[in-house]
Amino acid sequence: MSREHKPTDATLRMDRRQLLSGLASTGLLLGSTRNSFGQARVPVTGGDVAPLPIAIPNFVAGTPGDAEVGAGVSQVITNNLKRSGLFAPIDPAAFIERIVDSDKAPQFQSWKQINAQALVTGRMTRQGDGRLKAEFRLWDVNTAQQLTGQQYFTSPEYWRRIAHIISDQIYERLTGEKGYFDSRVVFIDETGSKERRVKRLALMDQDGANVRYLTRGSDLVLTPRFSPSTQEITYMEFGQGDPRVYLFNIETGQREIVGNFPGMSFSPRFSPDGQRIIMSLQQGGNSNLFVMDLRSKSTTRLTDTPAIDTSPSYSPDGARICFESDRGGKPQIYVMPATGGGAQRISFGEGSYSTPVWSPRGDYIAFTKQGGGQFAIGIMKTDGSGERILTSGFHNEGPTFAPNGRVVMFFREPGGSGGPSLFTVDISGRNELRVPTPGFASDPAWSPLLS
Amino acid sequence: MKVKVDKTVLASVALHVFVLGWVMVSFSTKALEMPPEDSVSVDVISPDQLAKVMAGMKTGKKENPKPLVDKIAEAKPVDEAVGKITEKAPVVTETAPAPQPKVEEKPVEKKPDPPKVVEKPREEPKQESVEKKPDPVKPDPIAEAIKKEEKKPPPKPVQAAKPPEPPKPKVERTFDQSKIAALLDKRDPSRQAAAGETLNSNAALGLAKGAAANNSATWGSMFKEQVLRCWKKPYGGLEAARFEVEFNIKLKRDGSLEAMPVAVSSASSPYQRVFLESGLRAIIECSPYRLPPAFFTEWQAFIPVFDNRDQ
Repeated sequence: MSREHKPTDATLRMDRRQLLSGLASTGLLLGSTRNSFGQARVPVTGGDVAPLPIAIPNFVAGTPGDAEVGAGVSQVITNNLKRSGLFAPIDPAAFIERIVDSDKAPQFQSWKQINAQALVTGRMTRQGDGRLKAEFRLWDVNTAQQLTGQQYFTSPEYWRRIAHIISDQIYERLTGEKGYFDSRVVFIDETGSKERRVKRLALMDQDGANVRYLTRGSDLVLTPRFSPSTQEITYMEFGQGDPRVYLFNIETGQREIVGNFPGMSFSPRFSPDGQRIIMSLQQGGNSNLFVMDLRSKSTTRLTDTPAIDTSPSYSPDGARICFESDRGGKPQIYVMPATGGGAQRISFGEGSYSTPVWSPRGDYIAFTKQGGGQFAIGIMKTDGSGERILTSGFHNEGPTFAPNGRVVMFFREPGGSGGPSLFTVDISGRNELRVPTPGFASDPAWSPLLS
Repeated sequence: MKVKVDKTVLASVALHVFVLGWVMVSFSTKALEMPPEDSVSVDVISPDQLAKVMAGMKTGKKENPKPLVDKIAEAKPVDEAVGKITEKAPVVTETAPAPQPKVEEKPVEKKPDPPKVVEKPREEPKQESVEKKPDPVKPDPIAEAIKKEEKKPPPKPVQAAKPPEPPKPKVERTFDQSKIAALLDKRDPSRQAAAGETLNSNAALGLAKGAAANNSATWGSMFKEQVLRCWKKPYGGLEAARFEVEFNIKLKRDGSLEAMPVAVSSASSPYQRVFLESGLRAIIECSPYRLPPAFFTEWQAFIPVFDNRDQ
């Protein structure tokens, strides 16, 4: 292996590259240890999937009054990235360099010393017109390069939202997947004793901030679901008579009953285009799936069985529906075309399966599995293969996917006198975290990305 | 009343007191002495390190970077460099040259012979199997033919089964040759010449089977160990297809990077780009690398291949 053997000719190098990639793709090269030029190929295999060490110093204040919001933004970003489990934000106490001008390249050596691999710098500046300007840059410390940079204008009260958007940018650039931080969660807030529980419809940012209550708690509400395209929520409410499916506008606070059906209507969910609502209607001892067009109010029956068909959920392309049915004896998950017709059972494990929900990425269906005195949250591929239990315990229920399909949120009841609370878990089963809520919380539903 | 004291008891007590007292005094003053030992330096090495032992000899010197090489040939290390080198050159004896010319001449002449010889064995076995004893009974033409050449007629079955014997006339010479070969083998050299790419008269410390000299797995694994410490492998989801990214890296003698690593592979998806960048970061962050200086020529330029398998 002398130096003369090294490739110097550009065309030669190209040839070799093509050759290598060609061979590698056919698997021929995997065992060889030297290339044609005698250079050793050193395999670097294994290595743990490890969170990326990232430094997020406080955003620089453009004007003296912006120091607080600068610190707040970096705090929100730090929290978001840390909770994702894919990043390890470094304690600001370890920082050596103090960023004073986010336009200049930082001293990479001082960030290298504290083992940061990525660095986020930014600046918040209040404009003359009252708006807030947010700028950020993401640096690769080791290669001393800027990976991405962006600036936004917003009204000052939406600074958290800006922090979420920046978090998404960082997440996407460093993981290769779309983020999910700029999203909200609707859930049922529960207060009071177990016998006299007050349940209110509530809305919050995905990190638990900005909680808003949408109903007053006089009526029992269940299974809220986000519209994928509008600022609307559909849910089931027990009013004076039978439970009914309602539509609720977050902006205006208006609500209306979806359709006028005899008997109970429940487990509603929007279609991916937001134009239709699919739900269960009770007919005697059975229930069947119906879809209603929100504009024309026309209703179409999708199933007609002497069984309980419920919990329908569309695939992201709107072509198929997964739902729960006990037509086979025990509740199991079935998949059928969105227009109705032949349904195929996809769950075959021990126990019963319920509350299926299709991932926004289309690759998985999450479910609640009951058996052996345990409630588990799991995912399976859309053909029923590759079942994977993410968590299991006394009572876990109601999975909902993050907008990027990488995280599942659900609620857990510990049993005893306590109440339910919300948790997130990665679809690999790692990084289970409690979501902070003011009181007890159940029935979460994740919104799509807001932007 | 007078107490009668036994004198023997008194004597015993006195003796005990004396002896014990003497023991206490004499023992308390003397410290145990340990003669100072010569210290022996001991290296503790792991099996892993043992695998990285250089090619060399137990008697070699640590400072010598390269294994002993007596002659230039395909690398072939030796166990002990004791005794004279015995070249395994063809030993030409006085008798040997003589048969060789004969062999050259005879093949041509003898070619007619072998067929005859070959025929015989074919027929003989038949006879034996069909009728065991009576050779002369049958007026077979074949039998007659055999009689004509009655040299071997009552062959032991074993001999008969050996057709390749025929070229007996020649055999004597070939026999000689093999004997010479056997002789040569017996005269095993006290040691063989250590062969290698370049001559080197000083033996290095190590083992004959030390693989470090021409095995990138050793310094390669050292590199891998070091780079893994900095590598934050990105998570590719549950079903990331297996792929590899390659880098061209050049190192200086002190193990630091001579230039920025260059990715040979190109990324075809966002995840692959992130994966590639993570490898790049790791290579840069973990430099300088501590690699065996003896193999600088090996690792001054090489190709780390990052693989996304979980292991």
